[in-house]
Amino acid sequence: MSAANRWDAIVVGADVNGLVAAQYLARAGRRVLVVGDADARVDIGWVPPPITRELKLDVEVIGLAQADPWIVAPLDGGGRLELWRDIAKSVEAIRRVSPADAGKWAEFSTRMRRLAGVLEALYVEAAPDIETREIGELLHLARVGLHVRRLGKQTMIDLLRILPMSIAELLDDWFENDALKGLLGAVGVWHLRQGPRAAGTAFNFLHHHVGSRTGVFRPPRSRLTQTLAARPGVELRRGVATIVATGGRATGVRLGNEEIAAPLVVSSADPRTTFEHLEPQLDAEFVRAVGNIKRRSIVARGTVQLERPVDFTTLCVAPSLDHLERAHDDAKYGRISAGPYVEAVATDGRLDLHVQYAPTADQALAERVAETLGVSAGQVRLEPQAGHLYHGELTLDQILFMRPVPGWSRYRTPIEGLYLCGPGTHPGGGIAGAAGRNAARVILKET
Amino acid sequence: MASPRTYDAIIIGGGHNGLVTAAYLARAGKKVVVLEKRPRVGGAAVTEEIFPGFKFTMFSYVVSLLRPEIIRDLDLPRHGLHVLPLESTVTPMENGDYFAAWGDHDETRRELYRHSPRDAEAYDEYGRLMHFMAQAVKPILAMVPPDPTSFDPRDLFALLRLGKHFRGLGAERLHALMKLMTMSSADFLDEWFETDVLKATKSASGIIGTFLGPRSPGTAYVLLHHYMGELDGVFRAWGFAKGGTGAVSESIASAARGFGAEIRCDAPVARVLVKGGRATGVALENGDEIAGKVVVSGLDPRRSFLDLIEEKDLPGDFVADIKRFKFRGSSGKVNLALDALPSFTCMPGIGRQHRGAFSISPSLEYVERAYDDAKYGEFSRRPYMDIVFPSMIDPGMAPPGKHVMSIFVQYAPYNLNGGWTDAKREAFGDAVVNTVEGFAPGFKSRILHRQVITPLDIERITGLSEGNIFQGELALHQLFFMRPAAGWAKFRTPVRAYYQCGAGTHPGGGIMGASGRLAALAILGDGV
Repeated sequence: MSAANRWDAIVVGADVNGLVAAQYLARAGRRVLVVGDADARVDIGWVPPPITRELKLDVEVIGLAQADPWIVAPLDGGGRLELWRDIAKSVEAIRRVSPADAGKWAEFSTRMRRLAGVLEALYVEAAPDIETREIGELLHLARVGLHVRRLGKQTMIDLLRILPMSIAELLDDWFENDALKGLLGAVGVWHLRQGPRAAGTAFNFLHHHVGSRTGVFRPPRSRLTQTLAARPGVELRRGVATIVATGGRATGVRLGNEEIAAPLVVSSADPRTTFEHLEPQLDAEFVRAVGNIKRRSIVARGTVQLERPVDFTTLCVAPSLDHLERAHDDAKYGRISAGPYVEAVATDGRLDLHVQYAPTADQALAERVAETLGVSAGQVRLEPQAGHLYHGELTLDQILFMRPVPGWSRYRTPIEGLYLCGPGTHPGGGIAGAAGRNAARVILKET
Repeated sequence: MASPRTYDAIIIGGGHNGLVTAAYLARAGKKVVVLEKRPRVGGAAVTEEIFPGFKFTMFSYVVSLLRPEIIRDLDLPRHGLHVLPLESTVTPMENGDYFAAWGDHDETRRELYRHSPRDAEAYDEYGRLMHFMAQAVKPILAMVPPDPTSFDPRDLFALLRLGKHFRGLGAERLHALMKLMTMSSADFLDEWFETDVLKATKSASGIIGTFLGPRSPGTAYVLLHHYMGELDGVFRAWGFAKGGTGAVSESIASAARGFGAEIRCDAPVARVLVKGGRATGVALENGDEIAGKVVVSGLDPRRSFLDLIEEKDLPGDFVADIKRFKFRGSSGKVNLALDALPSFTCMPGIGRQHRGAFSISPSLEYVERAYDDAKYGEFSRRPYMDIVFPSMIDPGMAPPGKHVMSIFVQYAPYNLNGGWTDAKREAFGDAVVNTVEGFAPGFKSRILHRQVITPLDIERITGLSEGNIFQGELALHQLFFMRPAAGWAKFRTPVRAYYQCGAGTHPGGGIMGASGRLAALAILGDGV
């Protein structure tokens, strides 16, 4: 048997979406090779129930129990604000800082959950194609429209009004307490080089609410990547592969000196990286569109090695919306935030860090983080920036049928036999495996 | 039967939109009265002789958005409307250089070539795209927004038609439109150009009247909004009305009178009379009551619903929507009487550049920093400014040999830390004058008189809430079928026979008159 037909498909990237896509292809009888390095970290984001159902995954094994309280925020005058999975308990906690806000918590949580539900429905399918003339696609569009309409007038108005808003405006409409608005607003700017006053950050907030229960505003966490990497049915090889194409057709990948052939290549890598070597085979408009994808990395990730246990699971240091806005001001002019937003999640004897805004990470930032968390600077290890985690910011012009680039939201690319399946495609990062599953379904229909 | 003294329509507020509504209703044979609280019509589009011999367009400054169909329908040129073109925009740079856009397209290209050959190449394609996008959006300006939350077949049909219109644009242009609707002007321009001063000057027109910076998403739309200016069929030709923008208002008023409308100045309305959920007329502040079959408010949503109507006459969620409608006035105006024209370092001497605008927007960072100040409740220490010399275009605005200078300034937040005081107003004026002095040394010594107008002044004088010149921010969630509130964007209100016609309704502000015209058509369509 010649090497040429050993593989039906090669998936470039052993991250959560690459592995999910590979599993779906393998399940349909394709011989699949995955090339890449699996991330040992936990996955952040909703695992769509169709994935666990269809791949017969044990929810108990991959899902990490959500901490309770799900967030702890230090208060300016001492003490802390703790929010719980239980609405009534959160209401009690909020009442201590603002009785008015406490009265609104349940209603706010319910309204946001309903909107996140609309996104969930949109995320388990390829992005609606608004230019289509195909009857099937038009029916799909109509179904989405009907789904939204069935939720009632209030939800529709909320959806139209809130999606293009800024998270600051949304929260100012509801709440008065700075600490509460700060810890909620922080999610609205996750992985965006924008402050909480930027339009579209309310969408980013809802995007990260997807998959969470009512009243919990931090995405679920899971071990989906680790579980899938250990699963049989798909061969996994380490290393960084580049895609090989000739005459506008993908023929395989190159791994070191070796060339591995396959008629189908699926990339979960950053779209820009994916197409870098293929530019001569692409038209100028497409190259320009890919070059215009905004993916300015402004999050420093890292860890703190703990010497003794901490009394929280998730600690959020974003004392107010203004604090976030000022942190962003620095980044706007290319500097690291003097007063960054720091979030720390305790896992396995260490803290996983999310520090924003950090166009680069340096020692001074590590010291600032250490000071914020009350640990020694030596315990803080910040990773060098390695591109945008979501392969493209989740701004309103880069979502749905505009992601990764307008006109190419259906995972297909101008290179025949090459598909995308990473967070750079719909529905984007912060959702575990949805892009991989959507892409695999399109591929199985088309190839 | 109605008494002979009953009007078919009472229009509250003699701003340009109220006047347009009045003119269209009167033209259809209706008995109309306009009630204006100030001694003259125009609202924020007024020309006043503030210092003897020196006339100023007090608040607004250029005309470009007035709808051509209104000029035609009301035959405004016959009523004195004469728009003179503003031919150029010169942006002085911090390094002493400048960027200039001239009326002559080839000359602009040559100028751009000097800064960046690449940008000069991209400029034409960009212009074509924006021109096309403006054409594509134009029908929306002339339509009553359908309500997407309604199950009324007429709304569904209108939505379908709208969908079809957009699909008809073709994929590439539809995508460009989506980007314009959602991006920041800086990000959008970054995709096209590399010359910072070009991007700064272009993006500046994306922030006018907003409480946003060039890096804030949503400003690309305002960029387009301003691109829709259409004078004699030429896009993006900004103009200056002979006699100031007050002359625009006067010409519309004259047309309205010509059709038989009655216009009463010094007639402030205290409240709208409502009986059984229906507007029956208005009560003036002096106690007089005037009956009318319909009442139309040209004021902004806050005035129209929270001041003129009692809360009990409105549904609770509607009141909540209006209460959270955002105004946040962000701009001020400095009007100067000059002994002589200033000479700018970047382009010394007095010349044709003074017949156009000077834009103080030397870099994106400069404009963004001006916004940063305002974000935290301060006026910009070094503000963005759009400067014109109306007396250069219309010599009647100043005594012979003297000049008037109009400076539109951003940002001056309505909610200033500690509130606006006389001292703060003067400090703001000083910041403006000193910044100009930096680009035109010696300019300060030419100032004869100075008038500084803050958003609070705009609110006090014209009644515009928080001094917002657009009667409410042009933010995505306050546009189209959500302007001013979801479900109430069709000029009707929850009170029967009470209508709205100001810029707080679709499609928004900028001396466009479109709201006034659409409102009149809606009222006539209801069979009034």
